[in-house]
Amino acid sequence: MEPIAERGYTHWEGTLGTGRRPWRVIAGQAVRLAWKRRFFKPLFFFSLLPAVVFSGGIYISERLGDFQEMLKGADKFLTINPDYFQAYYGSSFLFFMMLMIMVGGGAGLIADDLRHNALPLYFSRPLRQRDYIGGKGAALAFFLLLLTLAPGIVFLLLKLIFSGSAKILSDFPWLPFSFLAWSVFVSAFFSLFTLLLSSLGRNRRFASILILAAYFLSDVFFGIFYAIFREPAFCLVSLQRNLRQASASFLGAKPPMEVPGIYSILILAAIMAAAVLVLRRKIRGTEVIR
Amino acid sequence: MTAGGRILRADKLGKWYGNVLGLSDVSIEIGPGITGLLGPNGAGKSTFMKLITGQLRPSIGTVTIAGQPVWNNPGIFKNVGFCPEQDAFYEDTTGREFLSGLLALGGFPAAEIRERTARALAFVELQADADRLIRGYSRGMRQRLKISQALAHEPEILILDEPLNGLDPLSKRKVIRLIKEYRTEGRTVLVSSHVLPEIEALTRSIILIHQGKILAQGDIHFIRDLIDAHPHIVAVRTGRGRALAAKFVEEDDVRSVRFDEAQGTVLFETRNRDRFFERLTRLAAEEGWEIEEITSPDDNLQSVFDYLVGK
Amino acid sequence: MRNAPFVSVYKFSARLVRRSRRSRLLGALGLLPVILAVILQITRAAAAGGGLDGLEVFSNFVMGFSLQFLVLLLSLFFGTAITADEVDNKTLTYPATRPVSKAAFILGKYASSVSFLLVLVLTSTVVSFLILMIDRLSYGTAWTFLGRSLAALGFGTICYTALFTFVGTFLRKSVLIGLVFCFGWENIVQYFPGMTQKFTIMHWLKSLLPGLGGGMGSTEGGGLTAFLLFRHEPSPAGTAVAVLLLLTAVFLALAVAVFSRKEYLFDE
Repeated sequence: MEPIAERGYTHWEGTLGTGRRPWRVIAGQAVRLAWKRRFFKPLFFFSLLPAVVFSGGIYISERLGDFQEMLKGADKFLTINPDYFQAYYGSSFLFFMMLMIMVGGGAGLIADDLRHNALPLYFSRPLRQRDYIGGKGAALAFFLLLLTLAPGIVFLLLKLIFSGSAKILSDFPWLPFSFLAWSVFVSAFFSLFTLLLSSLGRNRRFASILILAAYFLSDVFFGIFYAIFREPAFCLVSLQRNLRQASASFLGAKPPMEVPGIYSILILAAIMAAAVLVLRRKIRGTEVIR
Repeated sequence: MTAGGRILRADKLGKWYGNVLGLSDVSIEIGPGITGLLGPNGAGKSTFMKLITGQLRPSIGTVTIAGQPVWNNPGIFKNVGFCPEQDAFYEDTTGREFLSGLLALGGFPAAEIRERTARALAFVELQADADRLIRGYSRGMRQRLKISQALAHEPEILILDEPLNGLDPLSKRKVIRLIKEYRTEGRTVLVSSHVLPEIEALTRSIILIHQGKILAQGDIHFIRDLIDAHPHIVAVRTGRGRALAAKFVEEDDVRSVRFDEAQGTVLFETRNRDRFFERLTRLAAEEGWEIEEITSPDDNLQSVFDYLVGK
Repeated sequence: MRNAPFVSVYKFSARLVRRSRRSRLLGALGLLPVILAVILQITRAAAAGGGLDGLEVFSNFVMGFSLQFLVLLLSLFFGTAITADEVDNKTLTYPATRPVSKAAFILGKYASSVSFLLVLVLTSTVVSFLILMIDRLSYGTAWTFLGRSLAALGFGTICYTALFTFVGTFLRKSVLIGLVFCFGWENIVQYFPGMTQKFTIMHWLKSLLPGLGGGMGSTEGGGLTAFLLFRHEPSPAGTAVAVLLLLTAVFLALAVAVFSRKEYLFDE
């Protein structure tokens, strides 16, 4: 049984309707709010640029003869295999844009609720902590899946359509599941990472700075240690490098650094677990003032 | 300070937010005593308050305090205290630190800051909680702290925007008494509210605002009398209600008569209240009519306001 | 004794900066150079004296991290917060209805933020230096290098905070714009050739550090600054100080001018 401070709405003695999904209400509202922000729409559409480019690449790969002149020597980059998809899923630009979408649409998700003292309002409804966190996370995951899972499905479909055969699936049968698994994993990571940092204060600006600081500074640390010691294992201190290693692992591609991808997956999973623990502590209907 | 130094004056004051009109063509003068600024939510009260406290710049017209323009003139705040409507504080400070910090901004020396802080906290009964973080204060405590920061430097002009918000009934009575005490020595107090009984408890001098315009300014009863279009309602409780009604029903200025059997009263609607009372008094004195109670249900602010906004 | 309005604002604001939870969290960021220095020193010791020289590590990596990331991020947050916090928290009404000029308000708050940041950044830099140079503290030139590094960080803090104070007075999305400036303009244009790099604040800050012309690094100060001063075409140090002070004064003057004229509407 949950402690009383977390039980929220307990006065009603009737039966609740079946098929309730309060997290969907929270997610829908958060998506609508993010979409309304002036900079968010152009930011999001700009993030889709690599997906458009890589989709174009799939088309070109089936028409190499037509583009021979333009692509002198570049055709080896257009072999559609896991490394090709890793170039999309593991690109710094994509991670950066996902981060910016988190900053634009997610930094204030919990910070604003804390600022406006909205948590007691939420938990005076028949809502559990996991509905609240799940709803907020789902809003972020919605946008992230549009950048990861949706392009993956489009890539596969385009390849099937343009090549006129299912060779891609017979050569790499795990690919659709890899796309799904990686998309879910990276979306969950970014969502929980953002929610964690948003819950640390009541100020959206502060959360934005923390999100970017954590991401960039970890990479700076990697750069420093790697420049001095030339030891690939230092990539484990950088969030970006860990994401690249993990994506290569999921897609069955060659990882950028000579470090087993599973270590990166474990580190990212540990961050997600820590985020869940902190969120469970922070998201309460009542605030304890000492 | 001279009486002229306590005058708040607005001359053809107007404020637009883009295409939205906040305030239009407001020309008023507010002098010593308590003046109530009354209007529903969205009427323009807060816009007016912000203009006279220099937080907004007028789009047209002028607003002055003691003859000096308000916008970008921080010197006038030596003698002006403002209690804002919003519930906002520096949450990481204690009540004492909050007050003393703001007094320090007022240029007082350290010893005087301590003394004034203690006095202001005592005034609003926050001494016991003065050293707790504001983050832990209840709604009522926060409101009292807000009032205390407006009074702490004993300004000649006090401007209070919805000062009774969030207070329990006992606290409201206390604050109303404090405000009334404050107006002594010729100080000017402007109080805004959308709660009519609160304003009625404080003052008879009111400014009515609606949709960014001033509808009326002056004494409540005087304004009521000016509203000739609306007859006055007088309720008379007597054991002989129908007979009394028969006495008045043929008079020209009595528009209608209704019976409230539950209350045992007769409600007369009359265009000339003074004449009506004169006749009623004569009936009671000369013909021995037993009148238990006489009230004027619409001789109050609610009715004045409703009539003016056309309800 | 009465304090001048600027001093009153400074004291009040300094208390708020010290107290706030965010300052503590961001202050922890300020300790990162120390953590970095400890890790590097341990790994150097484990390599039994081999590897890079302590001053090389300090000058290229600790200074590089502090100057090109830490100072930027901290100045961005604290500078924009001067106005943005008061507007977001709706507390601007209180100082605005006190007999304090808007100039005194902005400058007092700026001074309190800069004081906090200077103590944080300079202390962590000195501690990092001491950790990395623990076996070479008698090396006089190293102290000169430390002095100039502290000057660069100090001026960087002062100038960037002034810039972001100005940005915060007139832009609502000041953090986003600030980030684009820091990680876009400053981190890219500083490597452009010729006059172009002089359009960054970072150029003038790096001109305070010891280094050879042509950006090939220097043995002055006992270590290489090749990494930190990559593609840097330094200007004279005296000119750099004058430009930085001028920029600071201009940004603060603009901040005061905007703050005095702008109306700040709270979200209702």
